[in-house]
Order: sequence, then C-alpha cells, then structure tokens
Amino acid sequence: MPQPHQAEPTEHATDHAVDHGAEHGEGGFDAGEVIIGHVTNSSPDHPILHLPAVFGIDFSISKHVFMLLLVATAVFLLITTTVRRYLQQERLVPDGFMNALEFIVEFIRDSIVLPNVGAKYVRTWAPLILTFFCFILSANVIGLIPIFEVLGLIDHTVLHTGEHSLVKNIVHGGTTATANFNVTAALATITFFAIIIAGTLAHGFIQHWKNLVPHGLAWPVYILLIPIEIMGMFVKPFALTMRLAANMTGGHIAIFAILSFVFLFAQAFGSNLAGIGVGLFVSVPLAVGINGLEIIVVLVQAYVFTLLSAVFIGMAINVHH
Amino acid sequence: MDNALVQPDPGLFVWTILVFLVLLYLLKRYAWGPLLAALDERQAGIRKSLDDADRARKELEQVQQESEAIIGKARGEADAIVSEARSDSAKLREDLRRQAQQEAQSIVENAERQIQQERDRALAQIRREAVDVSIMIASKLIRRNLSPADNQALIDEALKQIQPPA
Repeated sequence: MPQPHQAEPTEHATDHAVDHGAEHGEGGFDAGEVIIGHVTNSSPDHPILHLPAVFGIDFSISKHVFMLLLVATAVFLLITTTVRRYLQQERLVPDGFMNALEFIVEFIRDSIVLPNVGAKYVRTWAPLILTFFCFILSANVIGLIPIFEVLGLIDHTVLHTGEHSLVKNIVHGGTTATANFNVTAALATITFFAIIIAGTLAHGFIQHWKNLVPHGLAWPVYILLIPIEIMGMFVKPFALTMRLAANMTGGHIAIFAILSFVFLFAQAFGSNLAGIGVGLFVSVPLAVGINGLEIIVVLVQAYVFTLLSAVFIGMAINVHH
Repeated sequence: MDNALVQPDPGLFVWTILVFLVLLYLLKRYAWGPLLAALDERQAGIRKSLDDADRARKELEQVQQESEAIIGKARGEADAIVSEARSDSAKLREDLRRQAQQEAQSIVENAERQIQQERDRALAQIRREAVDVSIMIASKLIRRNLSPADNQALIDEALKQIQPPA
C-alpha cells in the first residue's frame, strides 16, 4: 500500500489522525473515511483477535471489545485496590485517590440513588449505579485520551509492522467504546432489565406490570394508555442508548473534522506549509477547545446515563401516577 | 446498512453485557459492598459518637445540677447547725448564768437567814442573861425571896418592859 505523500510532513503538526490519514487515503485524502474509520469499530473482517462464532454471533475481539475489556480491567483494578487498601487500615482515613472515590461513591449514593430509589433499596441498587457511572466515565475518558493514536504513530514511524498485524490492530484499538451504539444499547438493556427487577423486588412480578398504568380509570383510557406505556418502556432505554452514543461520537467527529483541515488544506494548495499553518493556527486551537468541551461532555453523559437509570429504577419502585 | 456508524454488532452487544455484568459482580463483591458497608458503619459511628457526646453532656449537666443541689443543701444544713449551736450555746450560757444567779441568791438568802437566826438567838440569850442579871440585882436589892409565882410575875413584867413592842 503506497504511503500517501501528503500525510508524512504534517505528522509533527498534530499527533491525531496522522497515521489514519496515511492508512486510508489512497491518492487523495478522504476526510469522511478517516473520521468514520476513527470513530467506528474495526471492520468485521479484521478484528484484533478472531474468535469463533457462537449461535451465529461473531465473538471476535474487535477494537471496541478490546476497549471494553481494557476499561473494565482498569476500573476493576483501580477501584478494588484503592478500596482494599483503604479498608485494610486500622482507622478509616481516606487518602489520595480514595478521597475522590469516596466523594464519587457518597455523591452517587446520596444524590442519585437515595432520592430516586428510596432508603430501603439503596444497598440493592447503589452497586449497579456506581458501576454504571465508573464504567461509562472511564470508557468515555479513555476514548478521549489519544494514547493509542500516539502508539499508532510510533508503530507507523518506527516499527513498520504489516497491515492487520496484531500490533497494528491493538494499537488501533483507541476509540471510545461508548460511542458505539451497540455498547450503549447493551448498557441500556441492563437498565431495562434492572427496571423490571426493581419493580418485581418491590411489588412482585405481576404487580410490577400492573403498576405500568394507573389503576381506576375508564377502560377506553387504557386502550390508549397501555400501548403508550409499553412503548415508553422501550423508549427509555432507547433514549439512553442514543444519547450516550451520539454524544460520544459527536465530539470525536468534530475534533477529527477540524484536524482534517490540515490535510485538506495541504492537498488543496499543494503545499505542506499551508497544512502546517492551518494546523497551527486553526485546527489545533479549535481541537483543544473542543477537547476541553469534551471533558465536560464526558462527565455529563456518564452522569446523565447514571442518573436516568436511577430515576427509571426508582420509578418502578416508587410508583406515582 | 452500509453506514459503519449504525452497524448492528450482536457480538459487541453480548460482549458489553458480559463485560459489564462481570465487572458489576466483581466490583460489588470486592469494592462496592465492603466500601458501602464501611461508609454506613462510619456514618453510624459518627452518629453514635455525636449521640454519645450529647448524652454525656446532658449527664454532666445533670450531675453538675445535682452536685450544686447537694452543695446547696449541705451549706443550708451547715448554716442550720451553726445557728442551732449558736442558739444552744446562748441558751446554755443563759441557763448557767441564771442557775449561778439563783445559787448565789440562795446562798445569800441562807446566809441572811442564818445571820438573822444567829442574831435572834444572840438577842434572846442576851435578854435571858439580862433578866438573870436583873433578877440577881433585884433580889439583892430587895433582899427578900419572893415566891416563885411572884418571881414569874415580876419576870414577865420586866420582859414586857425590855422587849420592844412587837
């Protein structure tokens, strides 16, 4: 595969998108393809690790599966070691990361879980909500850090491994797993079942379904209301799915689009200098700004998913109509 | 669907659920459970120690009040004892004084009475001797013996003259 000539000299202007531009551009630079290549999962034909399909489902480790495993491992190790070290103390004095963790745990327990779920079920649902928050936030944040792009750059400039080699595949793993709606749909599915389990635990299985609609109305109202409530049951997780995935995708697309200016301008003017100039004075400052914005979005989206899950679970427990 | 952004991927979907549920189980088992328990315990501990402090302060106040009451009572009792002792001693002194006065008075009265008696007795003695002397002188003067009846009449007459009018 020929190395595109326009990508090489601008590598120093930005550390984003460079190697991908190199990979996808054949002759000309296709910004759309680069961006999509960055925010989407690896193509089904080239996963990081091929695994056999079970029941017709391809369980190969793709980029996003790799990210999920990485995030889960990181979250588990970080939180468990911190908590264990904290609890092993004679007197429970939080220090370092434990301060932040304790703040997060107490905030989620007291401001998200407790007001929605109620004091009786706090200990039942706090672990789920906490795991939601930590997992989604970590996945969002790791997706924001271009560590794999930097590694990709090293691979591209130093290692020169072949295309679709294991190194290249792993190194190109850096994407936001939560930007994939399959991932967010799976998380929302967990919320979906958590709602049903919460209602069942609080009111019994039958009563939970009866609680979906207010009782004591005239029967024609039910003809209208029951389909709406059943629709609502699915709309809630669907909204969770789309909100998180779209928000995580949007910021990344914006950053890549702005960074693509470098290559587009270099191509349009036939001069690398034009690309570097645009990169220095337009793309990088703008991308930095959007990245700053993304930090907020990453937090807010993790919070919103967590909060809404708690609200939906709480609605199944404390039925008001 | 050609758009890679909305490519359904059942494998990824199942992977996510698996990864999340395993993570949830592990975190619940090793992190959230113990941590939430510890936080609850600490909260309960703080609440308990605050309650204890409250109770201790109340008890202290009560004890202080009690001790003040006891001290007040003791002071009152001491005052009462002192004043009683003071009045007792005053009374005793008064009694002693009165007794002494009475004794003195009775001694004086006794003495006066004795003196009176002595004087009376002396006077009677003197009178008797004076009579005897008078009789002797009178018998010498008249040189004759009078009959005892005459004597007695004369003695009585003489005594009447000597004795001061009653």
